[in-house]
Amino acid sequence: MSKLLSIIEMQKKREQGGISFELNVPTFNLQQGQFVAIVGASGCGKSSLLDILALVLRPSQCKEFLIHTASEIMNITEIWKHEAKLATIRRNIFGYVLQTGGLLPFLTVERNIYLPIKVKHSGYSTEDIYELAKKMGVEQILTKKPQYLSGGQRQRVAILRAMAHKPNIILADEPTAAVDKENAHIIVKNFYSLAKESGTTIVMVTHDHDLVAELADITYTFKVKHESATATSSVLEVQA
Amino acid sequence: MKSNNTVLSLAMFDLLHEWILTLCLVLAIAAVISPLLLLMGLKYGTIATLRDKLVQDPVYREIRPTQTYDYKKDWFTDFSKRNDIDFLIPTTRVSSSIITIKTPNSQKIFDLVPTTSNDPLIKENGGIIPQDNQCVLTKSAAEEIGVSIGDKLTARITRSREGRQEFVQAKLEVVAILKPRAGTMARIYTPLKFVIDVENYKENIAVSTRNWPGGTPRPYLSFDGIMVMLAQKLDPVASSGLIIGTGINGIELLERKSFVETTGFELPANLVAYNLYNSNNFVQTASYRALKRKLRGKRAIVMPYVKLSLNLPTKTQFFGLSISSKEQQRLDIKLPWGKLENDASYQKMQQLLLPNPNIETVKASFIDTKNSINFPMQVIGLSPSKYALAPVELLATLRTGSQREITFNDGKFLLARLNYGGFRLYAKTIDDVQGIYTYLKEQGIEVSAKSDEIERIKILDRGLTRIFWLVAIVGIIGGIAALIASLYAAVERKKRELSIMRLIGLSRYQVFRFPIYQALAMAILSVALAVSAYFGLALIINLVFSSDLDMGQQICHLPIHYLLSATLMTVTVAFLSAILAAWKTTQIEPAEALREE
Repeated sequence: MSKLLSIIEMQKKREQGGISFELNVPTFNLQQGQFVAIVGASGCGKSSLLDILALVLRPSQCKEFLIHTASEIMNITEIWKHEAKLATIRRNIFGYVLQTGGLLPFLTVERNIYLPIKVKHSGYSTEDIYELAKKMGVEQILTKKPQYLSGGQRQRVAILRAMAHKPNIILADEPTAAVDKENAHIIVKNFYSLAKESGTTIVMVTHDHDLVAELADITYTFKVKHESATATSSVLEVQA
Repeated sequence: MKSNNTVLSLAMFDLLHEWILTLCLVLAIAAVISPLLLLMGLKYGTIATLRDKLVQDPVYREIRPTQTYDYKKDWFTDFSKRNDIDFLIPTTRVSSSIITIKTPNSQKIFDLVPTTSNDPLIKENGGIIPQDNQCVLTKSAAEEIGVSIGDKLTARITRSREGRQEFVQAKLEVVAILKPRAGTMARIYTPLKFVIDVENYKENIAVSTRNWPGGTPRPYLSFDGIMVMLAQKLDPVASSGLIIGTGINGIELLERKSFVETTGFELPANLVAYNLYNSNNFVQTASYRALKRKLRGKRAIVMPYVKLSLNLPTKTQFFGLSISSKEQQRLDIKLPWGKLENDASYQKMQQLLLPNPNIETVKASFIDTKNSINFPMQVIGLSPSKYALAPVELLATLRTGSQREITFNDGKFLLARLNYGGFRLYAKTIDDVQGIYTYLKEQGIEVSAKSDEIERIKILDRGLTRIFWLVAIVGIIGGIAALIASLYAAVERKKRELSIMRLIGLSRYQVFRFPIYQALAMAILSVALAVSAYFGLALIINLVFSSDLDMGQQICHLPIHYLLSATLMTVTVAFLSAILAAWKTTQIEPAEALREE
């Protein structure tokens, strides 16, 4: 397995509503094809880490933040100010699965899935997408708009959209938060299978450790080091 | 698919998805545009209808000379080069353009008017341009003599020559009768060539192409007056009777001193002299003959005279007289030439008596406003007058030269062809009338035109334009406000979707175009709807007013370029309005998509 992303000694400090928050990441590595779970209680900094990984939130300090591709190694700390480059990396390297799907309501399921392919100008073919849709059990709803889908269907479609343009890494922010536990297990299993099949790396943030316990290659856990009425400090540790 | 098209399709899908909101906004914009189009259509249609009525009727484009002038051919050549002139043709003098038209049942006097190709009065009043031996009549002319198209008329042209009435006739075929709006006067339109031939005939010039008889154009004789010398005074009744029916309107008994002042020689004691004259013109040969007839048997000396200056080269006062040798004896003067001859040779005319004859031949010249003529004269003796004496035929010829252009060639004085007395002139458009009118006025040519009617339409046009723009500005401001508010609100509502697009990888610039595409699409839809509404309402309005309009005229009408301009303006306004909303999209970060979740 080749290296995809590596972070060393990253720190993010934030202040909101008079409460300061500090997130510490000593090391964070992603290998190709890994299923990485990030777990922790609410407010510990899971989503902030995901924002940083998605290149939409800038860390306060970072010794090393590298993204490895087949052709180059990109030092993210050097290109934080280059909006166009970040957009290109987001488009080409990442796929996103948001808590409630993040589907565009004015597009049909099919068009939602094809959107990243259009933006990147590459990805799965129409036939492949149909096959993937079948595997996720959403082939019957391709012509429907998101508003007519159930929570589970929406998340499945969001997973398909995240994979459609063949990204290296899929960032999933509590993708099953809006569905029941039984459906959540099915969705995560399907997600896992598709990712493994395609060799895509998954970084999944969840507060439900049980959901990913069996499937995760690595699980990172946020540990709260210090907590008071005005400040919280957490650190990311590798669990297994 | 290129990213441009991706953003465009996303924008369009979003509009379709929210079709009710889209429709509301499209209706709102259309509700602003369509009344403006309708107002503009009414303004344009009303003015265009009025203008059409003016433009189609050439009478409104006509500029007419109100006085007879002397227009040379060069003047027409230069003047016709103006690009605001549609039609220009010379006309002859009024007295030369009167002809009598005979039909088997009637005989009427008509105005003869020249025409040629492109005559708008004929073309736009259902006529066709007449060729040689053809004519076009006004409606009233045709009705007066009861003719119709295809009929042949006999035109009779008369002239007075040496006291005799003469006439010639020409056959003219009626090829068209003009609509009543072409004019209420009884007129006959023929090619210019025919009109000039008529004038020549009336001027006593032969027209060989039509076998109309006449002479070479020798200048006629114009006298300053006629001296009548008698053995005794006439009683007042006889003296008044002397001028009746002679074409002369004044008679005065000359004192001897005045006689000497006028003639330069003494009046014999046994004679009294009367001066007969025309107070407003020169005296013609016909008057001289009439006077001779009246004084037959009374042993009167009837002496036409002319008094003028010639350059020899110094300015010399001349007195011209031609009397018989018997009359010379009675006046106690001796002249080498005899009585007045109507067709005197130049050999006679060139004789000259000077008070101090120290030269034999001189080069004389006569210069006035119309002429500058040089001719040789021969000094043949001492003048019995204090003035230089010459045959009256010479000085009367030169006197005619002060009215008409004459030339001297090969020992002959010839009357130059009359210049034109006027013109028929039509401007290209009613807007050109004022410019030509002013130009001619500046040239000292008195003209009249329908300027007042044209100006009234222009004032109405300006007034309606101001009202339109006042309403339009309010409408445009309202439209812009509605567009900005709607698009800005739409961006606020779609913040989440826009941040997802940014997260998926669309750049700020691509997302910037999202509301702009939507605004342009809504603007185009709005214009389409507004134009459709305009056409529907215009149709109804035009149907309502159809009975008051001519064929093809519309009270509500907009040319296609106005509609295209309205479309362009709406799209531009929509684009500018969308800029603010588009700027707002650039402030949206992809992180907001994650946070929103």
